[in-house]
Amino acid sequence: MWAILWKDLLLELRTKERVSSLFVLALLIILVFVFALTPEQLKQPAFGSALLWVALVFAGMLGIQRALILEQERNCFTGLLLCPIDPGQVFFAKFLSNVFFLTVVEAVVAPLTLALLGLPFSVSLLGLPLVLLCGIVGFSALGTLCAAIAVRTRAREIILPLMLLPLLVPLFIAAVHVTGALLAGEVWTGTWFRVLVAFDVIFVVIGWLTFGFVVQE
Amino acid sequence: MSYLFAAFSVVWIVIFLYALSISRRQQELSREVETLRRMTEEKTNTESL
Amino acid sequence: MDGVRMNTVTSRSGLADSFLPWLTCVAMLAALAMVFLYVPNERVQGEVQRIFYFHLPSAWMAFLGFFIVAGASAAFLWQGKRSADLLAQAAAELGMVFCSLVLLTGPLWARPIWGVWWTWDPRLTMTLVLWLIYAAYVLLRVFAGDNETVARYAAVLGIVGVIDIPLIYISIRLWRGIHPKVEQMAPEMAWTLLVCTGAFVCVFTWLLWLRLRSLHLRDEIRALRQHLVAAS
Repeated sequence: MWAILWKDLLLELRTKERVSSLFVLALLIILVFVFALTPEQLKQPAFGSALLWVALVFAGMLGIQRALILEQERNCFTGLLLCPIDPGQVFFAKFLSNVFFLTVVEAVVAPLTLALLGLPFSVSLLGLPLVLLCGIVGFSALGTLCAAIAVRTRAREIILPLMLLPLLVPLFIAAVHVTGALLAGEVWTGTWFRVLVAFDVIFVVIGWLTFGFVVQE
Repeated sequence: MSYLFAAFSVVWIVIFLYALSISRRQQELSREVETLRRMTEEKTNTESL
Repeated sequence: MDGVRMNTVTSRSGLADSFLPWLTCVAMLAALAMVFLYVPNERVQGEVQRIFYFHLPSAWMAFLGFFIVAGASAAFLWQGKRSADLLAQAAAELGMVFCSLVLLTGPLWARPIWGVWWTWDPRLTMTLVLWLIYAAYVLLRVFAGDNETVARYAAVLGIVGVIDIPLIYISIRLWRGIHPKVEQMAPEMAWTLLVCTGAFVCVFTWLLWLRLRSLHLRDEIRALRQHLVAAS
């Protein structure tokens, strides 16, 4: 499992294509929203948090898809399955590498977004990274599972968002609310945060258990 | 009142359309059965010759 | 050979074929009669409220479809039976049909009562999300072709979808507060609702049966064709 994870990270270190393209894409999405909203709206924490998550979800979706298309094109899944390892471990390797890439991208995009929108850094120094990480974990778990299904179909670019977005509804609502409360300086560790954590736990377990059914030949 | 009729007609139209789609697929399958039957007949004919 | 299997399907279908259509017709006629002739007008909403007797059973059928999909998907992954996969496929299509009915009759009711076609009420939102998950499931079947592997993908998606439903429900409820539930119903209304639900169960079962049979037939035709090609 660590070998697969290490291979993914090494590949990315050599080319740096995934992180850099995701970074630019996330910035572009934020830019589109900035043009669409008025300056007063941009100052509101609710819009800031929605913007952060829209950028993360859409950029992340393409990133996860890219990662699994690479595997599929080189027939790596078949190779991985020939190895005497549990498919659950393959899932964890893919999942962790996606978490890693999105965290790297978000580490740059999130502060940049706050700065661009003029939202305060001080209130969110500890909470924001934690909330972002929770969101990324849930997103990557479900995303890895759905992308593994989507890459083996025709029209894989369209079928991934169709599957993933409705299933992500709870994560998205919870994450936007937690982040909004965080940015507004309110209490954020309430029910919404628990929903977010529950989503993470449930879909990491589900992904681990069902990944074998998706990748077996 | 018109809303009530609209709602009930919508229900019927949707169910009818779905039933229609099932029957269309069923017809396709019957056609396929027909071709299969012909294939088997041809085969038995050539074998008997 | 394959002919034997075909016979078992047709003999099983005999009872359902002669029985179900009539039952559905009778139940539906009774339901319509009760909705339009028997049940009194609701005091506040008037005639439009009668949409409710078709709206709510549709919603229940949509949920029923989802549970069948989940159960059949789990059974398929557990035992690998083809029939479980076909059941999941048929139930998903029907669930989507009834979910569409909910989404179409809902606004037609909301417009005269609330003055808007749509509000972001928890239940409306929930139904919309449910419809989108169904749509993804059905489209996955379409896009992924029709081999053995797609059955597993669809089963995984069906299970993931059903596990997600409570989470979606909780988050949407938290998001928009709590909507008042159906209050005490007059006995006439309750009876009408019961008969309508019965009629919808009949329609659901009948259509499910038809669709399932055509899926089984398609499988058998495919097997026969392969058999013939292999023999020639």
